[in-house]
This record gives sequence, structure tokens and C-alpha cells, in this order.
Amino acid sequence: MANEEKTKKTRRPGLMSQLFGKKKALDVFEEEGMESQWQAAAKRFFKVPLNVIALVVFLAIFIYMMIGVLFIDFEETYQDTTQQNISPGHNMLDFPAELDGNCKQIAVGSTFSVGLSNDGKVYVWGKSKITNTIDIANIPDDVKENEIVMVAAGYDHAMALTKRGKVLCWGNGRLHQCDVPSSLGGRKKVVQIEAGHQGSLAVTEDGRIYFWGNESVISFKVGDAQGHIKKAAFCFSGIIALMDDGTVKGLVKNNVGWSQVPADLNDAIDIAASSQAACALRPDGSIVYWGSTEKGLNQQFDMSLLDADEKIISIKGGRYHYTALTDKGRVFSWGYNNFGQSDAPATVTDAAAIDVGYFQNYAINNEGKITAWGLKGYLLGSDGYGRDVFSRIVGGGRMTLTIGAIAVIISTFIGIVLGSVAGYFGGKTDIIIMRIQEVVSSIPFMPLAMILSVVVGATMSENGRIVLIMCILGFLNWTSLCRLVRAQVLAEREKEYIVAGKAMGISQTAIIFRHIFPNVISVIMVNATLSFAACLLTESGLSYLGFGVVEPKPTWGNMLNGANDSVVIQNYWWRWVFPAIALGLCTIAINIIGDGLRDALDPRADRER
Amino acid sequence: MLRYILKRLAYLVFIFFVISILLFVIWDLTPGDPARVVAEPYAKSSAQKYKEVYEQARRELGLDDPLVIRYVKWMGRLLTGEFGYSIYYRKDVADLIVEPMQNTVRLNVYSVVITLAITIPLGILCAIKRGGFTDQFVRVITVIGYSIPQFIIGLVFIYFFAVKLGWLPVSGYGTPNFQGTGWALYWDRMYYLLLPLITMLFSQMGGTTKFVRSAMIDVMSQDYIRTARAKGLKERVVIFSHAFRNALLPVITIIIGWFLALFSGSLIIENMFALNGMGKLFYTCLKNQDYQPTLALQMFYVLIGLVGNLVTDLSYMLVDPRVKLK
Repeated sequence: MANEEKTKKTRRPGLMSQLFGKKKALDVFEEEGMESQWQAAAKRFFKVPLNVIALVVFLAIFIYMMIGVLFIDFEETYQDTTQQNISPGHNMLDFPAELDGNCKQIAVGSTFSVGLSNDGKVYVWGKSKITNTIDIANIPDDVKENEIVMVAAGYDHAMALTKRGKVLCWGNGRLHQCDVPSSLGGRKKVVQIEAGHQGSLAVTEDGRIYFWGNESVISFKVGDAQGHIKKAAFCFSGIIALMDDGTVKGLVKNNVGWSQVPADLNDAIDIAASSQAACALRPDGSIVYWGSTEKGLNQQFDMSLLDADEKIISIKGGRYHYTALTDKGRVFSWGYNNFGQSDAPATVTDAAAIDVGYFQNYAINNEGKITAWGLKGYLLGSDGYGRDVFSRIVGGGRMTLTIGAIAVIISTFIGIVLGSVAGYFGGKTDIIIMRIQEVVSSIPFMPLAMILSVVVGATMSENGRIVLIMCILGFLNWTSLCRLVRAQVLAEREKEYIVAGKAMGISQTAIIFRHIFPNVISVIMVNATLSFAACLLTESGLSYLGFGVVEPKPTWGNMLNGANDSVVIQNYWWRWVFPAIALGLCTIAINIIGDGLRDALDPRADRER
Repeated sequence: MLRYILKRLAYLVFIFFVISILLFVIWDLTPGDPARVVAEPYAKSSAQKYKEVYEQARRELGLDDPLVIRYVKWMGRLLTGEFGYSIYYRKDVADLIVEPMQNTVRLNVYSVVITLAITIPLGILCAIKRGGFTDQFVRVITVIGYSIPQFIIGLVFIYFFAVKLGWLPVSGYGTPNFQGTGWALYWDRMYYLLLPLITMLFSQMGGTTKFVRSAMIDVMSQDYIRTARAKGLKERVVIFSHAFRNALLPVITIIIGWFLALFSGSLIIENMFALNGMGKLFYTCLKNQDYQPTLALQMFYVLIGLVGNLVTDLSYMLVDPRVKLK
């Protein structure tokens, strides 16, 4: 009797170590018997290659989603309208080899770049496909045939200036950004062309500016500045201009943040515009900033990085960052750094020009060699809000797996407690618990979960909703385990060792949890594994229908929510294929592990194979 | 037996009422005022009219009564076949559910019949040739079938059959303005039903095949099978006459469960393919906070669940004399 007590006591804590590794050999006869059961189960489990593969796949996904997310700069609320629906790939900075060493200028567009060689040839690289029919890489014939002296690239169109002074546009012209005004031709020589978000501009030799494009997005009013403009730059929703008297003006109808230039600025030599802010360079190399402070736009350049005799000679702006070129040929970037656009390489010491836009930077030296840094592309593409699909899969995976795991813990706990209580005590307790179990299991799950999610979740915060989903899944899923545990306990409780335990006066709790429970553990393990997969499926189903976790918090289910549309299914396949693969792999792996565990733990398992 | 059925029925009614009270209270906690929805069109024209309509709607909908009175009234209406009025569809719920119910039943009848026609022979085959290539292959497919969520299977099928190959329509339940009648109409409907049906089949077949297979394996390891073989019976006789009949017992119960679930429809499939079925109706009503049809539908689901449980137990008892229920 005392021996049996000891057996139970020593066996219980060693459960996991016995399952997954060898335990020190003990010399008590009964111990060996018990050990070999678990070891045999583990052996049986690992004997099947499929089980091992599934376990490795699942652990790899699980560990990566839980730990890998810490290394990814993941912001749930981040969105970017210029980066929507970009196909997977890291080719945004892959300029053609023949351009390297012969490059005159590079124009940076939202997801593509347009390069100009010294002999006037135009190259396009990056994600140049705008729609199914429009591709920037289809350079029109008149651009190919003429000698080009300047290029510009915007959100979805590109521009080129021929040697004869003609401005050519191609790409998406739906919002008139390619309708070059006829008044521009035949006038004074064009000295600058710029392409922005749904708009284009040209500055002529005599200080006049011409704008064409979507005027409902870009507010444009030049007023008495016309004729005095030296240089112009596109913010997201308008234009700022450097005047010939050294002042800077926002060419807008109504003043907004970035158009409110500091009044004392009257000696600017260069300007740079980002999405909602701008800055100007003074002759002494200092920089004046104004405009929005979002996403690091208020970050100022640390002048101490420069050598004592070094001076900034040129500045350019990306979407949320700026890049500067010094008279020593070094380059510096500062501002928002979510894609490495502010990590200017220190190795560049001979840059002659910089070209910056959106999230990319290029430095060109005197021999026409190119150095590039910034956004290379999106590993798994970007979604309809311009968010990186890969980081959302990782973030969503953590969310989905956490919800599933906690729901399983809740349901397993309830199942074990109610099942063992019902099985052990029997009688009235049993009847009541079993009736409750029957009711819960007979109500169709999804409609009830949806109702609860709407009714209870209506007034909840985002995090509250997540907890709610966990609880709904947990509190509605315990029934099958409860039944299994009860049946197992019913079978166990009549056995001699329990009778002996009772006779010895061991408390009921101790008998249930320390003597009967270990015998039920295999049932519990199998059931918990399989219901983990079930919880993942249910959560993703709920989120897919829009009743689970809601945007902007990602889960694998709600990432697929917007995918049910033939345009997305066909053209933006990366938006649904990758989350679907992640979710599918995970649930398949878990189910295989669960089945494998059951086969391995069931003494009659041999017949299964 | 009769005593048992009566007892279960009484219990079923009791549970039905308990759940209805719970649901009613839960719904009562929902933010939102149905009377405001009714009065909304007048909000802009005149405050006086708005107030009038609002007050009237509150009175008509009985929103000012105490909870208990409202519950009793609602239950009374529900039991007399008056399921309420849908504010969103501006229709009586009883009229509203006719067409969705037809669509759902049609889709499910096909899916159940075809699933069984495929999975039962497949499960038996796998059980007999256990461990063989067919078995292993089918096992992998079935694991995939029941592991991958329906909506992913649906997306993949839409991609291949509707988008890439262009064989089937992406969604809908009939060609708009279709003029044909009789067979032409039937084929048109079937054409639209095919993709959801394939999706449903694929995700259902995994679980069922597995179930049939393990039931069959269970039976095949019984002593009476060994006895039958020892008697020198042909293997075919052993399988179909001795084993299959017994393996069918657990299968029958899931079939019955299905035939009841047939009315509730599939939330995901119907939403995905824009089929006007019960699941879609429930989804739309819930999304638009249309509480009368939602509650009525939910109670309908509960009823189906409870009846399904009872019928399953009873059928077990009928087909398997060893089972004695108390």
C-alpha cells in the first residue's frame, strides 16, 4: 500500500520529462513498469515520420510567431496609401546593371524607380505594375526615341523631359496627371519636372510653375509667386516652392501644416518635402523644419555627425524621412525608419547627387555608380491598406495562437473539473452536470458565438473583445472533454486501488486529482491538442465573418476577411494565399500531432496502423 | 421506451424555455433602440413627427413594458407561429425565411447525399486495405480536408474553378433575369450551386471518411468477424454482411444529426458564395442588429440542436439493441 502511494507521487511530476526525454533509471520494480508505458508511447509517436514532421512544423511556426514577433517592428495601426497591394518580392532597389556606372539621375516613385543614363536612355525597375493594363515599365515609344535629360516619378505615373524641352508622361493618367498643358510647350525652357501623388508639375526657366493632375486632392494656387519660382517639391497633398528671393512658399488655397513656412526664413538654398512636412537648407548648412510631427517627421538631423569642416549642400525628402548630401560626398538620412530608409550607408564618401522619394534613396557618384538603401520590397506583399503582409501574418499568428491556446486552457480546465466531479460523485451531481453539458453541446456553436460577440462585445475595447473571444471559445468547447473524462473516471473509480485509497481515508480531492487524474491524462492530452486545432478554426471562422477579432488587430482569420472578392482572389493573390497557408499548415500539423498522440497513447493503437 | 421519450421531451421543453429566457435577457442588454430605426426616416423632416413616430413605435413594439411582460409576449407570439417582424427587410419573419430555407435545404440535401455516397465506400475501402497506398493517400487528403477551414477551401476553389478556369460563377444563386423554366431553371440553379457544393463536400468528406474508416476498423477487430472468417465465409460476405452493417450504427447517428443541421445552413459557405440561405439570413440580421429575426432564428437553431440530440439518442437505441437508455 505504501509502495503504491510512492509510485503515484514520484510518477506525476516526471510526466513531461518522461514523455520527451529519458529519466534516470530507478530500481523500484513498479517504477520501471510505469515508465516504460510513457516511453513506449513516445517511441510509438516518434516512429511515424509524419508525426515528427508535423511536430517540427508546428513548433517552428509556434516559436517563430511567439518569439519572432519581438524582432519585427510591427505597428498594428500603420497604414500607407502609397503602398497598397504590392506584390511579393524584394526587387524595388534592384537597378539594372547597365545603368550602374552610367547613371545621370534616378527618379523614385512609390514602388518603382525610373533611372536615366548619361546617354539619355530611360530604365524602369521595381514594382512597376500599377493596374492590370498599366505598367510603368512599358516605356512609351516617344520616350525611347528621344534623348531624355530629366526624369520624374510619382505615385502611379512617370515623366520625362526631352532634350528639346518637351515633357512626356506615362503610367496612370486617370486623374489627368498625364495631361501636359499645351501652354507649357513652346514657352521658356523647362528646368524642373516633378511627379507627385496624382499630380505633376513643371518649372520653367523664367520662374513659372505649371501644375496638372487631380486638383481635388492637391490644392494648388500659385498667386503672385508665378514668375519667381526657382524650385518646387511635392508634399502629399500640395506643392511648396523655393522662390528666387530665398523665401519658401506653400502654393495652396488654404494653409495647412506643411505650407506654414517659418516667417523668418529668407535665405533658403534648397528645399525638401516629405508627406506632411518640409524643411529648407540655409547657406550655412543648417536646416529649418516645419509641418506635421507624425511618424518621425519632427526628428531633426544631428549636426554633430558632420565633420568640423563639412557642410550639407543638398537635401531631399522621402515620405517620412529626409536625406542630405554633404560637400565631402557623404550622405545622411534621418526620420522614420520602418523600412531602413534612414540607414544611410557610411561607406558612401564620393556621392555627387542624391535621389530620394517615398521609402527609397539612391546616391550617385561622379562616375555614375549607384548606391541604394531603403525599402527593398515586401517579402509577402502588402495588403489593401499598404501594410506588410508578412509582419501581419506574424502578428496575427501570435494573436490567433494565443487566443487558441488560452481558449483550450479554459475549456480543458472546465472539462477536467466538471468531468471528474460528475464521474466520481455520480448521482444528482452527475445528472446536473451532464444535462448542462448536453445543453451547451446541442446549441449550434457559431450562431451563439456570433450573438455573444455582438451583444457583449459591442461596448468593449479591442483588447476586451480578444478576451471575450477567448472566453466564448473556452466556455462553449468543454463538453466533449467533460464526457470523455467522466467516462474514464467512471471506469477508474471502481478499481481496487481507489477502493484502497478510500479505505485509507484519503480525502476525495486527493483521490480525484492525484490518483484518478493521472490515468485520464492521455485522454486529456489528445483532446486538448485536437481542440486547439478546433479553436484555431473557430476563431478564424469568426474573424473571417467579422465577429471575432477586428481590424486593425490582425489574426489569420480576419486577414482573409477582405479576400472574398474575385479581384483580390485573382490580382492580389498574396493577400489570401499566405495567411491561408500559415493557418492551414498550423491546423494540419496540430491535427496530425493529435491523431499521432492518440495512436501512440492508446494501448490498442496498433490496429490503427 | 415511451416513458423515456416523454421524459426527454419534457426536459427538452424545459431547456428550450431556459435558453429562450437567457437569450432574451442577453438581447435586451444590447445597445440600440429598434424604435429609433423605425423613426429614422423622419429624423430630418420634423422633430415633432419624429417624436410622434418614435413614441408610437415604442408603444407598438412594447419597449416600455417590464422585461418579464415583454418576454411573455414574445414567447406567446413565437409559440403561435408569429416570429416577429424584420426591420431590416421590412417583412414578416415567417415570410422572410421561406426562400432561404428552400435554398439551404436544397444545398444540404445534395451535399449530404453525395458525401455519403462517396465517403462510405471510401471509408470501407480504407479500412479493408489498411496501411496500403490508397489508405495512406486518403488519410492525408482527409486530414487536409478537416484541418483547413471551409473558407480557405472555398477561396482556393474559387481561384481555380471560377477565376482561373472560368468554369463556374464566383457567387450568386442564379443568373439574373433568367427566363427559362423547368429543367433550364433547374440547371441554372445547379450551375450556381456547384461551387459551394464542391467546397462543402471537400470539407465534410474528411471528417466522415475518417469516421467511417475507424468505425469499420473497430468492427473488423471484433471476435465475431474472426468467427465469420473461421467459418470459411467469403471475405466479401464478411465485410458487407457482418462488418458493414455493424459499422453503420455509429454512421447512422451522424447522418441523422446532419439531416437536422440541414435546416440551419452554413454560415461561412452561404456568406462566401452569397447564397440566400438561412446562414446568410442570420448573418445579415445580426450584422444589422435586426433583433426579432435573429432571436427567432437562434431559437430555431436551439430547437434543432435539442431535437437533434434526442433523435440521435433514440436512433441509437433503435438500431443498436445493446444500448439501453434511461
